[in-house]
Amino acid sequence: MQEQKGSTSKSISTLSIVQMNDVSASYDSKDYVLKNIRLSIPRGSNYAIVGQSGSGKSTLLRLINGMMHPSKGKVLVDYKVPNTSDRKFKPFMHKIGYIPQNLGLIKNSTVLENILIGALPRVNGFNSFFKNFSDSEINNAKKILKQVGLQGKAERKVYMLSGGEKRRVAIARALVQKPEIILADEIVSELDHVTAREIMDVLAEAQSTMKLTAIMVHHDLQLALEYADRVAVIKDGEKILEIGVEADRIVDFQTGNYTQKEILEMFNTESKE
Amino acid sequence: MSVNVDADPRDFVEGLPNIGIMLQDITEVDSSLFVTAFWSMLETIEMAFIGTVVGVAIALPLSLLSARNLNSKFVYVPVRALLAAIRTFPSILWAILFVIIVGLGPFAGVLAIIMYTVGFIAKLQYEAIEAIDADPMDAVGAIGVSKLQLIRFVVLPESASHLLSQILYIFDYNIRQTSILGLVGAGGIGFYIINYIKFFEYGKAAVFMLVVLATVLIIDWVSVRIRDKYIVKSQRGMQVKS
Repeated sequence: MQEQKGSTSKSISTLSIVQMNDVSASYDSKDYVLKNIRLSIPRGSNYAIVGQSGSGKSTLLRLINGMMHPSKGKVLVDYKVPNTSDRKFKPFMHKIGYIPQNLGLIKNSTVLENILIGALPRVNGFNSFFKNFSDSEINNAKKILKQVGLQGKAERKVYMLSGGEKRRVAIARALVQKPEIILADEIVSELDHVTAREIMDVLAEAQSTMKLTAIMVHHDLQLALEYADRVAVIKDGEKILEIGVEADRIVDFQTGNYTQKEILEMFNTESKE
Repeated sequence: MSVNVDADPRDFVEGLPNIGIMLQDITEVDSSLFVTAFWSMLETIEMAFIGTVVGVAIALPLSLLSARNLNSKFVYVPVRALLAAIRTFPSILWAILFVIIVGLGPFAGVLAIIMYTVGFIAKLQYEAIEAIDADPMDAVGAIGVSKLQLIRFVVLPESASHLLSQILYIFDYNIRQTSILGLVGAGGIGFYIINYIKFFEYGKAAVFMLVVLATVLIIDWVSVRIRDKYIVKSQRGMQVKS
């Protein structure tokens, strides 16, 4: 197991920003994609959700940004019930940077246009129609472009970029929102080992310097443990473990029953399935 | 029930020599008419151009209102019904209607082209909007932007290449359509063509038809150029074989 990055310098507020109490969710009211999920994600933490594909990880993110609603139980994000069609929740939607698995970039637009989308909640209808952004917004966007390593590519069309660069654009768009939470759905799963770590470093850096809560879905446990403070393991829609690394050892935070050896064995048998 | 359409192969065989007469007449091109043909073609292009521009300008907001991924059914159902009603008439019938309303001349033709363009482009465009990738809509929608902002930053750029391709197609089509609107007195080069044909002056009609042919070829060439520059390149950098 590699050493966890920045674990000592981080101070995590104990107040949770996302709370899930016995949440179940389904798409067709028959089969539950998520069952009785209990989660408490500390404000300012780097949280990971790990599981095989089809385990309900992406649904969990959509419950947090209010694009989906639980069939049972309650989700609270910053003490509010997330719901994209609720006007009262809208101001908080601006504060959630959501990066879906396929990134959701506008491929025929330039990098700068794509990331300025993150600033739209702060621009009025007339100015946004004419793509009229204030100098401070443009400077901020360019600063973030530099932060994610895309300096000099502002005018490049997105379809011309590499996979890693596209992910940087998606991160930049989320950061331009000045978010409190970043939700990233398997953002590095299709990348090679080196590029994946570069992207994770960009996110981890932003998360700690901008004091955000990052909630990331992965299917690679090793990568998740390397970067996250806490990792929730989801299997068949149920949260089976909540683990983290403390003093170079994997610790079971959920029940405290499992040792590192048992957890790794559990995961090895799972990935062989 | 049967309907007698009076189809007799003998008529066709007996009529065949007429093609020869016509072809012979056509070869006797009256070159003195090229100037008239040129100016009437210019008028036709102008009509098609205005009709296309105004038609697209009306069609675009209507297509946004008829897209099912942007509106509730209380909006898109009536708008779609209106568009279907507009599409019921071919442009020549619209031309007849407008000749009755505004009188003979190019204005009636322009109005007919506008109606046809609205019905046609709005439908193709709302289909293009509905085919937009759901991911950018989701990702940008989750930020909590307004619907207008969503349209401006996601819907328009994502469907722009479709729109451009459809505008090029409909402009090309409108030029050919406008060339026949003269048949009902709605202006354009068709007025000359139909009159010369009526008086069996195929050689004179041929001049006008040649000009139409040349124009359509030029427009086709130009639109291929525009397509290569703005559309093909944006679709994953397709290589064009030269």
